[in-house]
Amino acid sequence: MKLLLVEDEPALRTTLMDYLRQSGYVCEVAGSYEQAREKVKLYEYDCVVLDLTLPDGNGLDILRALKADGSRAGVLIISARAALDDRLAGLDLGADDYLTKPFHLAELNSRLRAIIRRRQFQGHHHIAFRDLLVWPEQAEVFVREQPLTLTRKEYDLLLFLLANPNRVLTKEAIAEHLCGDAVDSADSFDFIYTHLKNLRKKLQEKGADNYIRTMYGVGYKLSMD
Amino acid sequence: MKLLTKTNRYYLLLTTVLFALAGVALYYGLYAALRSEVEEQLSNARLHLERRAATGEALTATPFEYQLSVSPVPRPLGYRDTLLLDAQEQEMVPFRQFTFPLQVQGQPRWVTLRKSLVETDDVLGVVLTVLLTVLGLLLLGVVLLNRWLAHRLWAPFRHTLHTLRHYGVQENRVLTFPPVSTDEFAELNDELTRLSQRLVADYEAMREFTANAAHETQTPLAIMQAKLEQMLQLPELANPALAALTTDLYQATLRLSRLHQALTLLSKIENRQFAETAPLHLARLLREKAQQLQPLLDARALTLTLDLAAEPVGLRLHPGLADSLVHNLLQNAIKHNVRGGTIAVQLTPRALEVSNTGPAISGDPARFFERFQKHEAASASPGLGLSIVQQIGRYYGFPVSYTFEPATSRHTLRVRF
Repeated sequence: MKLLLVEDEPALRTTLMDYLRQSGYVCEVAGSYEQAREKVKLYEYDCVVLDLTLPDGNGLDILRALKADGSRAGVLIISARAALDDRLAGLDLGADDYLTKPFHLAELNSRLRAIIRRRQFQGHHHIAFRDLLVWPEQAEVFVREQPLTLTRKEYDLLLFLLANPNRVLTKEAIAEHLCGDAVDSADSFDFIYTHLKNLRKKLQEKGADNYIRTMYGVGYKLSMD
Repeated sequence: MKLLTKTNRYYLLLTTVLFALAGVALYYGLYAALRSEVEEQLSNARLHLERRAATGEALTATPFEYQLSVSPVPRPLGYRDTLLLDAQEQEMVPFRQFTFPLQVQGQPRWVTLRKSLVETDDVLGVVLTVLLTVLGLLLLGVVLLNRWLAHRLWAPFRHTLHTLRHYGVQENRVLTFPPVSTDEFAELNDELTRLSQRLVADYEAMREFTANAAHETQTPLAIMQAKLEQMLQLPELANPALAALTTDLYQATLRLSRLHQALTLLSKIENRQFAETAPLHLARLLREKAQQLQPLLDARALTLTLDLAAEPVGLRLHPGLADSLVHNLLQNAIKHNVRGGTIAVQLTPRALEVSNTGPAISGDPARFFERFQKHEAASASPGLGLSIVQQIGRYYGFPVSYTFEPATSRHTLRVRF
């Protein structure tokens, strides 16, 4: 999976690049509008992670160029501009999704996976993890070939964990993923605990291994081993 | 009061006073002139009689005995007014009389000459009527002319006013006016154009500043958040002390960035940077939000009832602001609730009402809308939710009110459309 990361801020760029490489992507970077412009002209990418505010140009123009060239690459906009108008403009121009800085890395990965799934597999794609098999387009989950019935939120939670295997996911990132940015007080994290407890119970009833680990005080992790 | 009405009022006052004075002066002037004319006639008649008497002739008998009466006994001399009965009209008629002594054929006589003042009154009446009518018409004419002129001459001013009323600086447009021939209005329009140029420039500068400030602050926050998340992945973080430190830092960063987002939103609303609007389907939006917040409701065992029977028609809002409004109202109702409490959302064509159970809050309800007003000082939320609700309400002219029902311990926030 080949990505182009367009981000002008060096510190953020290296962190994002490290993270994306750790998550198994082939990640190229561009630090300016010109570099990004050149790369999208020369190479094919599965997805472009695009910052809008670049020192020498507007990221929206790169999006326009991609669309004008009929590129198959998905586009995920990341911008510090919380401007709602930018979000609308980006989506109108054909961006697949929009993340406002600052964002959780896990959320970025989850969105990227969703975009790539939509664009590349047209539904013929499954996620396999140890004894788990998930068909995202059909929203079907199997544990050791037995179907598993989950509530909507439990399913979202499982998918979020599966997008970031072997990574500590903070409670905050999970809460935000499940119900937007509404969660801003400590006691509202209780619901994550409830959902996780239910999810674990359902998995164990079907005989799944216990691979959802609790990282005390921090969050949760889908363990590979 | 309109300028025209005001000036007309003064015109009318002035002309009425002038009219009254002129009327009185005219009346008395004419009256005096006519009387002196009558007196002159009487005095001429006296000379005539004296000449006759001097030649020793008898005084002529007149067919109108009331015009001349001769008495052998003395009478008061001089001019005076009197009333006599008019035999034909059977009414008292005013006369001017003149009495003087005269030697008629050697006998002393007192002669009284009289002349009716009725004709004089009539003449006075006619003259006054004609004059007052003409003056009245003149006044009416002046008022009408004035009104017509005002309508014509002030038309460019009204046009300017209309343009100003529909001018919003966020349209990023300099005001332009069609050329005007009146100097004062042309000057006014020129100044307004210049003013709007300055406004547009200032507005643009402020907008850029807000955007840059937001960007410059969010970027380091994004770096901090990403780095901290990466840090949490390190094996060293198995050390609980280190994990606790990092988590605290991470949470503080999130809090700061949330605060920053809320403040940026508030300043943007104040700068009126949300010109775009789209039709709002409030019922649908409420249902979506309720579904999104379901986990939070479950976590606190809250019951949410949506009564969305009728929604306002023709509302247009910026989609982001509409989202923020509904989000903050619902979040507020969840946050300030009690475990196992209820939230009722009622939507009518005129208002949106969100009420929730919750402990009574001390303090002035008006202050709840102020920034950084928190129910619990230690709460992690910055206390900007209701400020945002109120600012959005103000932006679109929706009054937002808060009431508390002590009997049922229900807090109600009401947004009227």
